[in-house]
Amino acid sequence: MSQHRRMKTALPHSSAQFDPALIARYDVAGPRYTSYPAAPQFHGRFGEADLRAAIRASNGDPIPRRLSVYVHVPFCLSPCFYCGCTRVITRDVSKADVYLDRLYREIELIAPQFDRDRTLAQLHFGGGTPNFLDERRMADLLDSLATNFSFDRSPQREFGIEIDPRQCDPDYVRMLARHGFNRISVGIQDFDPDVQKAVNRIQSVEQTRAVLDTARECGFRSTSVDLIYGLPKQTTLQFARTLDQVIALAPDRVACYAYAHLPERFKAQRQIVAADLPDAPTRLKLLGLSVEKLTAAGYRYIGMDHFARPGDDLAQAQDAGTLQRNFQGYSTHGDCDLIGLGMSSISHVGSTFSQNARDLPTYYAALDAGRLPVVRGLTLDDDDLIRADAIQQLMCHGVLDIASFERRHQLDFNEYFAAELARLRDIECDGLIEVGADRLHVTSRGRFLLRIIAMCFDAHLARSEAAGTRYSKAL
Amino acid sequence: MKDTQHPGRRPPANTIVADDGDDLRFCSTCAFGSVCLPAGVDKTALRELHMLVEHAGPYRAGEHVFRSGEPFAAIFAVRGGVVKTRQLDDDGREQVLGFHLPGEMIGLNAIHAEKYPCDAIALDTVFVCRFSFPALATLATKMPGVQQQLFRLLSADIGKASLLAGDYSADERLAAFLLLLADRFAARGFSAKAFRLEMSRGDIANYLRLAAETVSRVLRRLQDQKLIHVEGRDVELLDRASLQDLARNILHQ
Repeated sequence: MSQHRRMKTALPHSSAQFDPALIARYDVAGPRYTSYPAAPQFHGRFGEADLRAAIRASNGDPIPRRLSVYVHVPFCLSPCFYCGCTRVITRDVSKADVYLDRLYREIELIAPQFDRDRTLAQLHFGGGTPNFLDERRMADLLDSLATNFSFDRSPQREFGIEIDPRQCDPDYVRMLARHGFNRISVGIQDFDPDVQKAVNRIQSVEQTRAVLDTARECGFRSTSVDLIYGLPKQTTLQFARTLDQVIALAPDRVACYAYAHLPERFKAQRQIVAADLPDAPTRLKLLGLSVEKLTAAGYRYIGMDHFARPGDDLAQAQDAGTLQRNFQGYSTHGDCDLIGLGMSSISHVGSTFSQNARDLPTYYAALDAGRLPVVRGLTLDDDDLIRADAIQQLMCHGVLDIASFERRHQLDFNEYFAAELARLRDIECDGLIEVGADRLHVTSRGRFLLRIIAMCFDAHLARSEAAGTRYSKAL
Repeated sequence: MKDTQHPGRRPPANTIVADDGDDLRFCSTCAFGSVCLPAGVDKTALRELHMLVEHAGPYRAGEHVFRSGEPFAAIFAVRGGVVKTRQLDDDGREQVLGFHLPGEMIGLNAIHAEKYPCDAIALDTVFVCRFSFPALATLATKMPGVQQQLFRLLSADIGKASLLAGDYSADERLAAFLLLLADRFAARGFSAKAFRLEMSRGDIANYLRLAAETVSRVLRRLQDQKLIHVEGRDVELLDRASLQDLARNILHQ
């Protein structure tokens, strides 16, 4: 990172938090650190037996962690061109039955391995489009989960679902509430008609409002919306209008993701005309605009791509020091063992990560043979655990307290991280972080470049770059 | 032990393998160590004693140090790691007899029947010292120190077994369990405040004759009351006085 080295100048804290020039210089590719080590490090030598052993060991903890279950529903009615998720496009709802059959088998195989007193405190449905499932199928799926796991019955439990409002009426939302969902995350991306046409996703403000209003009426604890900047045809003028419309919808959380154009990896993205994509300075302005408008409207910048109202659980968890980063971005339930169900889902049990088959035939074949569909993963070693903790502290709380870190991991911080501290001093000159004797502190400008800071601690990065892994850009 | 140590890493608290013994001295943590303490011990005899000590291991987690029914040939001192002793009843149900920390002896309860009455299983990576019993018995006739130490170890072993019998609540049992474990770690020079529970909660529950859920429920409560802090398998005793108060009926029996 020496090419970024500048004259060391004292940076006043009152300086604008969002510094476009600075952020542009750090527009390099890197993992998003929803896990450390990042998913490209997972390997095929990790299999079903390793996952079973990890579950057994996790049951043996004096106070076993509670459970968080992610369910992947891979179906969509039509393809959004920006999408990089693992999904299947079909208009035939009965297609889901073949999949659900295997999903039930997976639930029945994995759930009994967890001791029954470990409650399921967090449930998240993602996709694809979870609301591709009609009421009957959704009810059956929840039944299967409730039968095989011990649902937490307290109001603190977090049952969330991602919703495509184009195929979700108020009745569906009320049905979700009856079945215990209390969090909803609604995909928007952009309300501008030109952008919507360019990405093949036509969705009105009214449809979106109907879903969010019904969710609030039904007592959902948290409503969230997703936006994407960097989409084709996006301009600052029109995105400003989208942001105003989003703010008027008053969600509790807003996620504003950077579009990563990787058409060689994601087939759907080949439909996008590269010439329509905003250039780097425009992307930067779109991000700046989002930060400016959302913070002015009272949202707190949590980190990476997430904003939340100060009263929301996410902001509260950040205040309480319990915020965690996981595959859904940020989470208030990071102290759980995570079980990923369905095609391509990732589990995080004890000090292991594991991922299910990423295509339907392999996923089906494993379950038909009575095996868990794990195809790759890894076991974190001591060094991974130490680095994961450092990255977690900095990405969730912006602070790493050196004394308590040394106590937790039985190490001498300055000695252990001598090389990393040298790298941090480079970016300290740019005012992203303050490296003190007793703590590391991410500055208000550094909050926008958490990936860059985390990358300083990533021991796998150099190796994976040499192996040709491609990450999306930080910006 | 890891052969590659990252710079700046300190060895974890209670996972050190004792290895500071030599021809004339036992390892500092060893339960047999006090044999050498009396002044004027015959150095030839002492050397003879050390000659019959064999280092064995590493045993990986789940491996047997000895099996129930095997002919008794030796007693063992745990040098590193934790060993669980257990019996299986006719229906194959397990009964955990105890957990043995570095410096402690196992196999003493085999002397009488001349075969091991229980399984000894490594809970993590375990190293032991093996004392051939026939040789040790012969030596004991020549070295009164050795004999006395054997008697001391035997009586301590018998005392330990009765400690958790009796009609005590789950809270009392767990508080006593943690405190006694802490004392045993402290006696071997490890931290009495923070240690790692290598045994699973199932093993703890079995040993204390409680349900596994109960073990976790009580520990969670003790944690909520700020008496302990649990993170994974690591336990820290935050309020010893309150724990002692809770366990007083067991500890003062």
